[in-house]
Amino acid sequence: MRGQGGRAQLQRMVQLNAESREIALKVVYYGPALSGKTTNLQSLYQKMDPKVRGRLMTLDTKDDRTLFFDMMPVFFRTQAGVKVKLKLYTVPGQVMHESTRRIVLQGTDAIAFVADSRRSETASTLAYWQNMLKNLVANGLDWKTLPIVIQMNKRDLEDSRTEAELGDLRSEIQPPVVSAVAIRGDGVVETLHAVLQLCYRSLDRSLGLDAKWHITEKEFLEKIFSHVDLRGTKLGGAPPR
Amino acid sequence: MNLPASFLQQRMPLADLLDLKAFEEVCRSFAELYRIGLKVFDETGNKLVDVKVGNADFCGYIWTKPAGREQCMMTVGRVKSQSIGEEQAPTTFECFSGCRYVAEPILYEGDLMGRVVFGPFVPEELTSLPESLRRIAADFDARAAEGYQQKIRKVGVPTAEKILKHFMGLLDVMVFTGHKNLISAKLHIEAVTESYRELTEKNRQLEESYARLKELDRLKSNFLATMSHELRTPLTSVIGYSEMMLEGLGGPLTAEQREYLGIIMEKGENLLQLITSILDISKIEAGRVRLVLTEMDAGQVMRDAVATVLPLSRKKGLKVVCDPPAVPRIHADRDKLRQCLVNLCSNAVKFTPPGGKITVSAERAPGDRVAIHVSDSGIGISEEHLERVFDVFYQVDGSSTREYGGAGLGLAIVKSFVEAHGGAVSVRSRPGTGSTFTMLLPVNPPPAPALTPTGLPAVVS
Repeated sequence: MRGQGGRAQLQRMVQLNAESREIALKVVYYGPALSGKTTNLQSLYQKMDPKVRGRLMTLDTKDDRTLFFDMMPVFFRTQAGVKVKLKLYTVPGQVMHESTRRIVLQGTDAIAFVADSRRSETASTLAYWQNMLKNLVANGLDWKTLPIVIQMNKRDLEDSRTEAELGDLRSEIQPPVVSAVAIRGDGVVETLHAVLQLCYRSLDRSLGLDAKWHITEKEFLEKIFSHVDLRGTKLGGAPPR
Repeated sequence: MNLPASFLQQRMPLADLLDLKAFEEVCRSFAELYRIGLKVFDETGNKLVDVKVGNADFCGYIWTKPAGREQCMMTVGRVKSQSIGEEQAPTTFECFSGCRYVAEPILYEGDLMGRVVFGPFVPEELTSLPESLRRIAADFDARAAEGYQQKIRKVGVPTAEKILKHFMGLLDVMVFTGHKNLISAKLHIEAVTESYRELTEKNRQLEESYARLKELDRLKSNFLATMSHELRTPLTSVIGYSEMMLEGLGGPLTAEQREYLGIIMEKGENLLQLITSILDISKIEAGRVRLVLTEMDAGQVMRDAVATVLPLSRKKGLKVVCDPPAVPRIHADRDKLRQCLVNLCSNAVKFTPPGGKITVSAERAPGDRVAIHVSDSGIGISEEHLERVFDVFYQVDGSSTREYGGAGLGLAIVKSFVEAHGGAVSVRSRPGTGSTFTMLLPVNPPPAPALTPTGLPAVVS
């Protein structure tokens, strides 16, 4: 699987259509079963102005377990007239849906890895992390350069790791680590913000978003986050109203 | 490896997200409810639905005039193609006839998918036919035209926009539902296809490693056969010369030398027996077992076998009972049957503590067969090991420091030989109480070559 660095770029979903001036991006929320991927998307759906997002599509079973994925489109037009379309996906977490996870991961531009931060979930988290790397390789994606943010979710539960432990984790690994209680909406916006920031920087490096498309990082993030209810988040700023 | 592109990466045209036939019915019923025509175009301007309500006579009359026809086509062109932006808001188009259309873009996930055109309708503020219509022809019949126009619904533009907004809401749900269903169905297929691909790949890998293991197994058997043979030759000399010395052919011996030579001979015989077992197993695995069938008295063979283990069992303080009743004479390979019994009896001696008892018995069994039992009051075998004790090299106690010796070949040989006779071997056991091994042998083995465990026919001669 090595030596595919050149091809990896082709496998990314990012579709740039110079003629219609469109950029399409894909972000996937990956993680073990019941780690809170769907909850993240539902929370974002609540916090986001319908002006910039479409419906939340949920394909689940009767018992509320994700069957294929959840998907929410986010879109805006930049000042330079470029249409940016972003699709947020979750993968099904249950072990048996391995092939679906691989399919949904296809062509992703960035990943939010949602982990249950309880100690008891460590083994499962590590297994899914490895599983994700394997599936990225299967899709011809280079996980060393792909923007990945780790969300340590369920910080309110008893057995969860301490902030000091997360600090240690942050100093050990490359991907940013965001703490969250997705069920309360805490850390959800911060996670998306961190993912999109990394995603912008990665695409700017490879495609020249600023130079060629005249989209600055500030504008890219503002176009979305000015339509997100930021109350209670670390992103500061009063809500836009 | 790269997966085939998922349809998730593709953009769907409007027509793929809707069941057009059913959608047309919805449009028709909607248009008839409000008595206003309805057209739906996709992103490239293809007309997907066209429902006309009330305007056929009026527009038909205008079409009879060349100038009317020309201007009508211009209006239709504008309504269909003129940009109306990508905001969820209606745009009003005026027709030269005084009628109005309202149009709105179909937006889905931020993409422009097409447009809905609602009309024509007569705006409430229109009181008489406009000049632009009257002058399309010198012979324009205003009275008739007014009559036709009354068949078209009169409604205020704001109301028409509200109705259109309502329709756009319905359409959005239909498109979303259609998209969701399409994705479910397609992703289901993709997931199954992907699982199939993965399993096929894993099967291939398993087959490869199985073939490799089989080849290694074959090499192992060859090696064992060669080595056993090579080991046997020098060993025969060791035993032979020891025997010669014991017989005094090399000169007189002291009592101590005699004792040492006795040990050399005994251990040499043990070693020879082990090597013979290995050779037997490699022959069995290579499918080269040949039976020499003769008619014989099973009781005699049982007594012979017991006699072989008697010295050892006496030394250990075991009671051995061999009481063969009159069983029918059977056709079997005498040497192999004897070896089977010796193996079973040796095991019984090995695993029975001093003071225990070993019983060798026989009885008639249904189906013209004879059952030979070897029972002991030994340590027994726990259930988890019972199924595997007949496997080659299997040891209940597999540790290197185990208490009981042996190569783990004895029972495997018994099983192969008995099966080569068309018989079966079984075991019953309770840990701490003892074990009973039973060989079921047909009185007349089948004439066809019996199968050895490796699936190769053993030639019965």
